[in-house]
Amino acid sequence: MIEVRHITKTYGRKQNAFKALDDASFAIPDGASVAILGKSGSGKSTLMHAMSGLDRPERGEVVIDGQDILKLKVRQIDEFRSHKMSFIFQSFFVQANETCYDNVSLPLEIANVPASKRREKIERALKAVQLLDKKKSRARDLSGGQKQRLAIARAIVNGPTILFADEPTGNLDSATGEVIENLLFAYNKVRKGTLIIVTHDPDLARKCDMQIHIKDGKIEKVETVQKGAKR
Amino acid sequence: MKIRDIARRAGRSLRQAKARTLLTSLAISVGAFTVTVALAAGAGTQAYTDTLIKNNGDERSLTALAKGDSQNQTPKEYDPGRSQAAQQNLLSDDDVSKISKVQGVESATPTYNVSPAYMTRGGNAKKYEANVAIKSDRTAMTLEAGTLPASNEIEKGKVVVPSEYLGVLGFQNANDAVGKTIMVHFDKLLAIRPDMSGQDTTFTIAAVNKQSSLQLRYTPQLQISADDGKEIYNFQHAGSGQENTYGSVNVRVTDSADVDTVKQAIKDAGYEVFSLKDIQEALFQFIDVAKWGAAGFGFLAILASIFGIINTQYISVLERTQQIGLMKALGARKKDVGRLFRYEAAWVGFLGGVIGTALAFLTALSNPFIAKSLNLEPGTQLLLFNPLTSVILIVALMLIAVLAGYFPSRKAAKLDPIEALRTE
Repeated sequence: MIEVRHITKTYGRKQNAFKALDDASFAIPDGASVAILGKSGSGKSTLMHAMSGLDRPERGEVVIDGQDILKLKVRQIDEFRSHKMSFIFQSFFVQANETCYDNVSLPLEIANVPASKRREKIERALKAVQLLDKKKSRARDLSGGQKQRLAIARAIVNGPTILFADEPTGNLDSATGEVIENLLFAYNKVRKGTLIIVTHDPDLARKCDMQIHIKDGKIEKVETVQKGAKR
Repeated sequence: MKIRDIARRAGRSLRQAKARTLLTSLAISVGAFTVTVALAAGAGTQAYTDTLIKNNGDERSLTALAKGDSQNQTPKEYDPGRSQAAQQNLLSDDDVSKISKVQGVESATPTYNVSPAYMTRGGNAKKYEANVAIKSDRTAMTLEAGTLPASNEIEKGKVVVPSEYLGVLGFQNANDAVGKTIMVHFDKLLAIRPDMSGQDTTFTIAAVNKQSSLQLRYTPQLQISADDGKEIYNFQHAGSGQENTYGSVNVRVTDSADVDTVKQAIKDAGYEVFSLKDIQEALFQFIDVAKWGAAGFGFLAILASIFGIINTQYISVLERTQQIGLMKALGARKKDVGRLFRYEAAWVGFLGGVIGTALAFLTALSNPFIAKSLNLEPGTQLLLFNPLTSVILIVALMLIAVLAGYFPSRKAAKLDPIEALRTE
């Protein structure tokens, strides 16, 4: 359960002050797939940053499993993120010079997973995105779709309970985008991880259990699609 | 993150920027090279000086003289009762035995001056002028043939002949001479006519010596034992009043005693003392100054290379903004990110140290050439490398590099992941 309560985040000061988030509140049940929908500049990315503890809003609470993560120390939030959360970005952010294996290994190293347990996890994650044969290839040699699949492998390797995807298909053609979407929803359905997709694509949003519409920093409406909500 | 993982990732990112890493390392290696060569040259010169000193004297020997009481003093009134030795600032047998009783003294041998008339093979062989010296120290000699005891002393009745004397004495070569005998004629100094009262002393040739380039001064001369020297001296000086008076005493220090302590003890007993160690120390001090002076230039080069490391690391942080942002988003701590860049700097320092030291070690190949061009004894190594010093230097360079990488690594650690991951 993720509860967002009255979050307000302001950028700039005085005359230039700009409210990126204005008293945003909603709740996401465990294992849901959620789309945060909004135009560019609406505050959807800021919302994702606040929910993951990367950003600190000046007011409000983000309660995950009963714990307000905004009240945690930096160290504890880092620890929390390394074990419970993961990210997928529009521009992949895979390390071009590293092999696929090393790319996927990074979150495990950060989470201090013992070296002996890494190989199995990495190979399982690469298999899930059908990149096991590319294990030794450098990320720079992959196509855009393969890069995003690699990013998904990296995101799921440590079994996070919450997966953030920021415009995951934004840089991909529709066919490749669909493969990525399927992988994300598969993780959501099979591994029961909460999936939070930040997007401005209504088609992608419709595939989610829940749609949170955001405009000018305010939550416009929260729609719950009946068929998928309880699975 | 585990230190091993960070070090591995640091090494990997350096390999990805090979040219930059190598150039930064080369800057450090210039300093490392200079320091290593300077220290090696210092060590080599010191070792060479040590060999020189050992070949020209015995460092565990002291020379004791009577304390000159004429300095700063008006002459004393003549006193017939005062011994001649004391009057002439010479040493007597009493002095010799007093010095030999000082703690740590193995033996005290007076220096005897003997004046030979001539040397000959005997019979009808021709007679030749000769120099005779008494060897009472343990200075090494360069032998062409024959052997001496390990202590480099000459036994009583034996003589060491210089190779220059071989021809006139009728020997084919050095090996031919060893074991043969020669005769040296000594006169009583107070004899009215030289031929009146001389004596022939026969010596067996123990060894033949020759000049070595390590010897600072070399005079071809017959060398005999202190025991023979004493007898001949007393024979020559009989009745002259100079019997049993000596200009100086050669003091041998036991192997277990400290030369400086013994020196001070003899000084306290009322004698002037000189040692080869004094010269050695003065020389070593001079070499040290030169060595550290040269190494100083190396340290300056290292100082300059620090700015290179800082610059490189700043560029590296800029280049990898996204990677840093991603790591932080995935929960990497500030400490981990900072470490990543500090380890990178350490790798650069390590690489620079190793390259510089390796190049410096290569200069050791020029040792034979240096020895040849400076006319030193063949086999002399004027560049003497110490692996331990190099290890210490490399570790120090790594630490310096880490310190240099501090500011860039702090910039990386403080990077805001949201800013870093912004794509627009």
